Amino acid sequence: MLPFEEQVVADLVEDPNGGLVVLSSGLPLASIASALLVHLCYQSQGSGGGGGCFLILSAPDPVKAQIRRRLEGSGSSLQVHEVAPDLASQHRVALYASHGAVLFLSPRALVADLLTSRLLPSHVGALLLLSAHRSSDTSSDAFVARLLRQRHLLPVFAFSDRPHAMLSGFSKAERSMKSLYIRRLHLWPRFHLLAASDLERSPPEVIDVRVPMTPPMRGIQSAILHAMDACLKELRRSNKVDVEDLTVDKGLFKSFDEIVRRQLDPIWHTLGKKTKQLVADLRTLRKLLDYLLRYDAVTYLKYLDTLRVSEGVRSVWIFADSSHKIFDLSKRRVYQVVIADGTKVAAHKGTPTKKRKVARTTSRKGKETENEDSSDNKDNAETGVVVEEILEEAPKWKVLRELLQEIAEEQTKGDSENVMPVDEDRINESGIVLVACKDERSCLQLQECISKGSHQVMRVEWEKYLLGKAELHGLHRKNKKTSQQPKGFGVLDGEVPMRSGESAGPVSISRLETNALLAAASEISTVTKEANLNDDSNVSCRKRGLVKGKGKVKKTMAKREASNLIKRTTMEHTDLEVEGQSGKTDEQAEVNACMLSKKDDSASAPAIDKDANFLSAPGDPVDAKPLPLQFYALDSDQHVLDVWKPSVIIVYHPDITFVREIEVYKAENPSMKLKVYFLFYEDSAEVQKFESSIRRENEAFESLIRQKSLMMIPVDQNGRCIGPTTANEPEALLSQNSITRKAGGRKPPEKEMQVIVDMREFMSSLPNVLHQKGIRIIPVTLEVGDYVLSPLICVERKSIADLFQSFASGRLYNQIETMVRYYKIPVLLIEFSHDKSFSFQSASEIGDDVSPTNIISKLSLLVLHFPRLRIVWSRSLHATADIFLSLKTNQDEPDESRAMRVGVPSEDGVVENDVRAENYNTSAIEFLRRLPGVTDSNYRAIMEGCNNLAELALLPAERLSELMGTQKGARMLKEFLDAKCPTML
Amino acid sequence: TSLASSAPKNAILVSHRQKGNPLLKHIRNARWTYADIVPDYVLGQSSCALYISLRYHLLHPDYLYYRIKELQKNFKLRVILCHIDVEDVVKPLHEVTRTALLHDCTLLCGWSLEECGRYLETIKVYENKSADSIREHMDNDYLSRLTHALTSIRHVNKTDVVTLGSSFGSLSQVMNASMEELARCPGIGERKVKRLHDTFHEPFKRAS
Repeated sequence: MLPFEEQVVADLVEDPNGGLVVLSSGLPLASIASALLVHLCYQSQGSGGGGGCFLILSAPDPVKAQIRRRLEGSGSSLQVHEVAPDLASQHRVALYASHGAVLFLSPRALVADLLTSRLLPSHVGALLLLSAHRSSDTSSDAFVARLLRQRHLLPVFAFSDRPHAMLSGFSKAERSMKSLYIRRLHLWPRFHLLAASDLERSPPEVIDVRVPMTPPMRGIQSAILHAMDACLKELRRSNKVDVEDLTVDKGLFKSFDEIVRRQLDPIWHTLGKKTKQLVADLRTLRKLLDYLLRYDAVTYLKYLDTLRVSEGVRSVWIFADSSHKIFDLSKRRVYQVVIADGTKVAAHKGTPTKKRKVARTTSRKGKETENEDSSDNKDNAETGVVVEEILEEAPKWKVLRELLQEIAEEQTKGDSENVMPVDEDRINESGIVLVACKDERSCLQLQECISKGSHQVMRVEWEKYLLGKAELHGLHRKNKKTSQQPKGFGVLDGEVPMRSGESAGPVSISRLETNALLAAASEISTVTKEANLNDDSNVSCRKRGLVKGKGKVKKTMAKREASNLIKRTTMEHTDLEVEGQSGKTDEQAEVNACMLSKKDDSASAPAIDKDANFLSAPGDPVDAKPLPLQFYALDSDQHVLDVWKPSVIIVYHPDITFVREIEVYKAENPSMKLKVYFLFYEDSAEVQKFESSIRRENEAFESLIRQKSLMMIPVDQNGRCIGPTTANEPEALLSQNSITRKAGGRKPPEKEMQVIVDMREFMSSLPNVLHQKGIRIIPVTLEVGDYVLSPLICVERKSIADLFQSFASGRLYNQIETMVRYYKIPVLLIEFSHDKSFSFQSASEIGDDVSPTNIISKLSLLVLHFPRLRIVWSRSLHATADIFLSLKTNQDEPDESRAMRVGVPSEDGVVENDVRAENYNTSAIEFLRRLPGVTDSNYRAIMEGCNNLAELALLPAERLSELMGTQKGARMLKEFLDAKCPTML
Repeated sequence: TSLASSAPKNAILVSHRQKGNPLLKHIRNARWTYADIVPDYVLGQSSCALYISLRYHLLHPDYLYYRIKELQKNFKLRVILCHIDVEDVVKPLHEVTRTALLHDCTLLCGWSLEECGRYLETIKVYENKSADSIREHMDNDYLSRLTHALTSIRHVNKTDVVTLGSSFGSLSQVMNASMEELARCPGIGERKVKRLHDTFHEPFKRAS
């Protein structure tokens, strides 16, 4: 543990009420939390009391794992348990009862357990919230805090490592502190003096590598930025968003969507389709920008193809000029269409393909000629057009290989030098090289690049692409028979949609192109078949056989001896500038951009080959010590640094959180030698994003510091006294209130207002707000309805999204049907969100005619069929709570056990409270009404005509049509009843 | 309502009190005609509506109550059509909601006159429409239909449906199976046997 972490804990425990800690992302939250737990445990043991358990809410899984590991390593007596929501209640109770236990829980289950007194607040030692940025005064962790603090003054410790999330909304930090009864805010930015000095005491050696993008990549990037800009301009024109916040620079972030959504949410329901589409398009474009740097050329093209199929019709951007450029350039990174004699097809004029080929490395050059050879074979006599593969590989791949080779060399060199002095430090070193990528996919692909060679990887992707194409085409052939004109034909084949302005020329070309692609595909499929056959005959050399096509392996074998020498020279050749980073690790982005100079072709080709082999063949007898290489996906969120203890880290996709983790890891192991390489694409969105994420975080902290200085914290913000709202009414006050509300106290005064709430409703914030209003919440599992306000009133709550969705699924109809059956006053509560617009739909959606899909039509139909249904339209959570209170006036309190039994049939099949059940066989009627041919208008007649269902099954068809009044319906029913069941066993 | 009977049968009847309400301009998908009626609108044999705008309610908070009082119990569906035409809705809407709920009226809200008009039209046009479009939609193949029907019986699950179907051959045979036969099916326990048998053999109407 670092000194500054100790300071964080020391500051935190100073206040018995707890505190809120906001850290820079990547700083060791788990380590601080576990140190805090150890401290608390020690403290409670010291004070003699049992201390009770420590509750940790909403911890993400990786953090849980880390805390668990750290606590187990700390030698404290703390036991760590996960309390899953589906754990049987007696097990939960047992866990709660254990002393000195650390429990990970979901707030929802905890709220119910606190309300039912399965967990007594007095038994809780402390409450820890690890994602404080998610809590608000209506969130369930705030509810937990209130339920606990009402009865027992325990400390609440909240943490967040998302400073910018703490800023969303008006004085968010202050309000969430209020709702958690916290009075102290501790800010620990990376630039905090203590943190900075700890982390910079022995910084790792940092090497910043800038990789230039290829010209088409640059072209695509600028085209995407162009398209984004166009979307933004369009969005601004709608006059509904604040212009200043909308810049392309911000557009790079995920939070950009949030900014736009936050601005538009209040009016989202009233927005036209076009504006919504623009927002969606911006998201798509941002993804494209991201994938451009992450995916290989073929995968990128494939993604674009699917995008065009899925979004083609709706998107606005897809028809813009710049998007044409995106598609075109991405295609040209993969292949081009040439006439068999080698001249390019006219449509692709102006492509500097030839030039680019020269710019490629030699290995590519060799491949190129090879491709041309093979494409000659593919010559399609009919069309005279062939597909020439370009298969541009990602520039970073090459750089990575070179880096690995250089590292390997340094290590062997180091080993030979360090033979004599047995250095303590060196023994600690694992020599592991960690490559950190954004996602698992990149990890796997890089791994393959290194083991099989990048060309091979590109080939495999390309073959998959072609085969996919062929498959789709085959599918289309089949479809063609049924549908005359397959609309998506050009689109599916990766073709730019035809525009009216264009001549007939491109059409024929696209046909030719399609044919050429298919020809290439069919060739590949035959080749693979052959290869498979070969493999079967000779399993042992399968791997070699696959690579043999490239003639690579042989070459490497021969050159291995020589390569060592060549490598040395290459090393000196590359003027890699190594800067021993002193201090300002945070501004790595500003470190001298050292460029890996492009090696001349003759030197690099064998070196790469050697390298690939060296790394890929751990079993190879010649290389005694292969480079231990590990890949790590940042997305997986595991904390691997402590586990693998790498001595070299290559950050393939720069990420600020990971940078901090590296710093902390280095600071925790000061004696270890650590070298970190950053791979950036020069002038790319990647760099921009990295730099502005640092800037953004710093700004967030500055703003939080300002807020902290202005913060008004009531002296009594500790949960005992009445807080900002009527939230924290102690028991005595509560019952007084209920007397006045009860208009003269018809009830015995000790009886408080209560509402029965379905367990599943604890996902929402309404129970929390009701509790704030002083209503007793009784959580049970309800068969019918969500809230029972009185013996007569039952409420089904629907948010707007729920309402639309459950109308569509038909669920709402069923819910209302049962509610109407069992309660005298069934209520449908339509609850709007207070930060969204209070309206159903935009004017344009109303339309000119009565359309059955419109929400108005559905609601009208619902009220027509259930005239007894009452509808409550509520502006917000708080408005709902007020309406509930006023509806409960003059009503009796609901009965818990009775509410639970409603709708649950007893063993003899009679449903309690069902008015019809005494006179009718309800289950039989329900069954009858679900049979085909039976309708609302004829089921009564059928019931008149026969005694029971068994009898109905035997009625002849004539009698049925007599009863039902239609021959068609009767036939339908009869056929269904007598249809032979398919035997599925 | 004697006057109403002389009016065209499939038209919305509009009270003379509504004369001049710009809402009427938006009723275009159904015919309407003035008539001497107690509610503001008569939308069918058993449904009627009262119109109120929140702005008006703020000026005359008692109006709605007296109008509802007049309605008596002549209609099965009594709609309060509320036009949301003020910014600060919470308080007035709360009052309207409460009044409607306590006096057996169904509250519908419209945010524009167009929307309000559409509710009136729709209720009229859909007067005799089945609820199929808002009921659970099911697939049309035999097994889904069979499952849909049989799972209406409590405790019967999808596996049981297949079991029953393949043991008895057809639904009519399932419906005529004896307790013993049902009990022989794997997975159909005592409880389910009883539920199934009762459903099929108990008369539809117990009283008779």
